[in-house]
Amino acid sequence: MVADTQRLPTERREAPAEGGSWADRRVAVRIVQREKYTDTYVLRGPRPEGGVYSSHVDESSYFTAQGTYGQDTLRPVTIKQVLDAQQPHPDAEFKIDDIEITQVTFVGQIRNISTQTTNITYKLDDGTGTIEVKQWIDADASTDMDPTGAGAPKGRLVENEWARVWGRLKAFNNRRHVGVHVIRAIENKMDIIYHLLEATYVHLYFTRGGPEQFTNPAGAVGPNGEANGQQDSTGGEMGVNGRMMPPVSASAKKVYGILKTSPQSNEGLHIQHVAATLNMPVQEVIKAGDELLNHSLIFTTVDDYTWAVLEF
Amino acid sequence: MASEATPRINAQYLENFMNQTVRILGKVVSLHGETATIDANGGITIHLNRDSHLALNNAVEVVGKVQQDLSIRVFQATDFGTGIDFKAVDAVVDATHRYKEIFYESND
Repeated sequence: MVADTQRLPTERREAPAEGGSWADRRVAVRIVQREKYTDTYVLRGPRPEGGVYSSHVDESSYFTAQGTYGQDTLRPVTIKQVLDAQQPHPDAEFKIDDIEITQVTFVGQIRNISTQTTNITYKLDDGTGTIEVKQWIDADASTDMDPTGAGAPKGRLVENEWARVWGRLKAFNNRRHVGVHVIRAIENKMDIIYHLLEATYVHLYFTRGGPEQFTNPAGAVGPNGEANGQQDSTGGEMGVNGRMMPPVSASAKKVYGILKTSPQSNEGLHIQHVAATLNMPVQEVIKAGDELLNHSLIFTTVDDYTWAVLEF
Repeated sequence: MASEATPRINAQYLENFMNQTVRILGKVVSLHGETATIDANGGITIHLNRDSHLALNNAVEVVGKVQQDLSIRVFQATDFGTGIDFKAVDAVVDATHRYKEIFYESND
């Protein structure tokens, strides 16, 4: 929370009411605003220091435009993913699929509601697992929640009904819970179905790369497998001699694209060059390269850190 | 956590989940007092509990245990109304088992 406060130099900085900083509340408000306009989420690739390089939803500028929340993402997840999230060390951000998570959203059937003096705790079950989510009661909040309603706020948040949550994963005494910014009853049950598909899509996007790799960019492919050379300028998407690109991560595809399209000698390209061109940390390039090496898409030339595309 | 998960299945997966607790979203096609038949990519007989309130032709999501005869003993049934696109529901079941790492623990 200290970091959050520092990122808000122009904001008021009175002590936040218990359970949520101003930063948290700002995000919650913004999430509500977002919800009015769109049902899509900002999807981002792994972040190199100081920037976001991969976003295939144009409105990614939504957060970054504000300047202070460039690092935040809102990811649709299943509860199992939340429970399986890795925390490299205490106080570190949690990671899912090796990507840091900040805000998450998920759905769940309400199994239990427990109203305390300071918070309402809901136990949610989405069929993949069960987790507690805590909504802090804010005495002077003018949200659509009614804290005096003793666990029965507006919108049918009752046991066995479904709810959607926007919040942030917290660990406390080895127990995980989600600090809720917003919890809403689900009116249209199709939201549950769509959410599960969306969580799957985002999971696959981060673990195997985006869907563009599965469309053949060259259109017709000759019987011997020569693609007809219509490579798009960003690289990365094309198949290998007409073969489909195997499922690799988004960064691996970028590295492959550079190796394939950059002018180079038969020695290939050094990782430093690749890292500089892609503005990607060297560690990540190495990881991407390992992936490509494992798929026999590239090979090492003069040393372990100089790679060329394996063509045959 | 594994025991808490209720994998989403349809009629085609019943045999693989015998004696396990699962989650099925289907359409109510007939009601016979204590039992009912739902269509979830195939007909499934479900044994209702006292709290189940099913409406004919509505979608219902049941959590229950798959019996030896591939019927379901219902623990909980939730009415899902009429606006359900079952193609999307089948897609979720498919994704559940294809990418199970984000949906449930399994031994294989």
